[in-house]
Amino acid sequence: MIEPLISLMLFEPGRVFRAGDELNCEFQIDAVEKSELTGVEASVLWYTEGKGDEDRGIHYFERRTPADAVGQDLRQLHQIKTTLPNSPLTYDGYIVKIRWCVRVRAFFRRGKEVFFERPFQLGDVLKPKSQFSKSDVGPETEGPLDAEE
Amino acid sequence: MARLFRLWGKKRGHRRTGSKLVGSLGEAVFFAVLLILGVVSLTSLITTYVLRPQPEVLVLGSGYGFWLLVLVFASFIAIGAGGLILSVFQVGTSEERRSALARRATSIELISEALHEPKDFPAIPSDVNQTNSPGIQLKYRLPMSQMSVWTLIAMSIFCVLWALIAVMLTVVVLKTPLTDLSSYALAAFAIPVVAIAVWSMNHLRKQLRIQTGIGPTSVEISEHPLTVSKEYEVFVSQAGRLYLNQFEVALVCEEEATYSQGTDVRTEQRIVFQETIFLEKDFSIDPSIEFNHRCSLRIPDHMMHSFQGANNGVSWHIRVSARGQAWRRFDRQFPIVVYPQFDSGVSHD
Repeated sequence: MIEPLISLMLFEPGRVFRAGDELNCEFQIDAVEKSELTGVEASVLWYTEGKGDEDRGIHYFERRTPADAVGQDLRQLHQIKTTLPNSPLTYDGYIVKIRWCVRVRAFFRRGKEVFFERPFQLGDVLKPKSQFSKSDVGPETEGPLDAEE
Repeated sequence: MARLFRLWGKKRGHRRTGSKLVGSLGEAVFFAVLLILGVVSLTSLITTYVLRPQPEVLVLGSGYGFWLLVLVFASFIAIGAGGLILSVFQVGTSEERRSALARRATSIELISEALHEPKDFPAIPSDVNQTNSPGIQLKYRLPMSQMSVWTLIAMSIFCVLWALIAVMLTVVVLKTPLTDLSSYALAAFAIPVVAIAVWSMNHLRKQLRIQTGIGPTSVEISEHPLTVSKEYEVFVSQAGRLYLNQFEVALVCEEEATYSQGTDVRTEQRIVFQETIFLEKDFSIDPSIEFNHRCSLRIPDHMMHSFQGANNGVSWHIRVSARGQAWRRFDRQFPIVVYPQFDSGVSHD
């Protein structure tokens, strides 16, 4: 079987959004028979990367089955639209990173599924310029928190 | 392409090696086996009792074995059934769909009230604790981070338990004549145990001295929550009888990540921004007159707002730290909540 192809396009060329902006995107699925597709999910979400275990937040979610599509054909060009939230903003920290993306996941007969995602930036938070270790804390950077006799 | 079966899976970026379907199937089989084991065992246990009734086992206190087995097999059934239902529910359900269902559940009014997350600012912690205490000089009096108190409580419990162990061990050693190898080994074992007890008691005494010897620190702020790019007034008050070499008030931003490493759960913190907003050197504080200072702070442009996920976070706090003659250093942290800069006029509530 040929690997199905998901095309996903955001209508904002720079892919940089501000909180409250409207996100418009469209997607379609190719290289697959109409009858093979059992469902398509589109979501706008944020997730964390970095040292910690992943956190995820779904801002927009839509699931379509053949019954929801014109001519029961889920491959056709479909558009989604949502107003982006105020937070969390895209962040590229040292041990915590927050990414936003539009993700399209297609489900096929016999349990197979594929997904494709298009990242975008929400807000204009800058990467921290420097990092400090715990030992840098305090007015003088020597010795542990301890009492002197 | 993922291999059908792999004993040890690996995480490669977002992707995990091994088949997801086989993983889900394995999980379902495990819970199904547990459920069958529980049902068969409980049925045979009850059937055996019905065929050969023993009235004494039904009287509590005389037949613990029977009731213990009933409890164990019933828990097998509960865990197996619960796990199996969850596994079946999750087959063919994407992680986004599960998260969307969870989000829908949290939007139910009662649950969302319990979560205390601001409605218009997802993933930003609530500032209920910061705004429920009015200040004297400024609008709000900020609460101090409770972490140091919990650390002290944990330390006290450890000290007491360890001291009890050390005392009991010492009594046993003193009562045992040093005649054979085992008595010498016991005495040798007691030495580090007693040494740890003495060290921990001494450390606890120092910590208690720091906590109780320094007077209360109070921080008030003109507005809360704070917003990136805006300026606020801060009022700091320090009481006690102290001679301080340095006294600093700083604005700090810290990243925090919690991750699993084997069976351990670890947390790492990294300070990514700190700025001194007030610094005073070589002065004393009299018990009759508190040291008071009013200053301003500004959350710099394009900084990250407060963020709270289940495993990751970005937090802001005002840190008051000092170096004195009697104490090498003390730190007190006052958490604040920082919102992103916004133009849409949405409310914080």
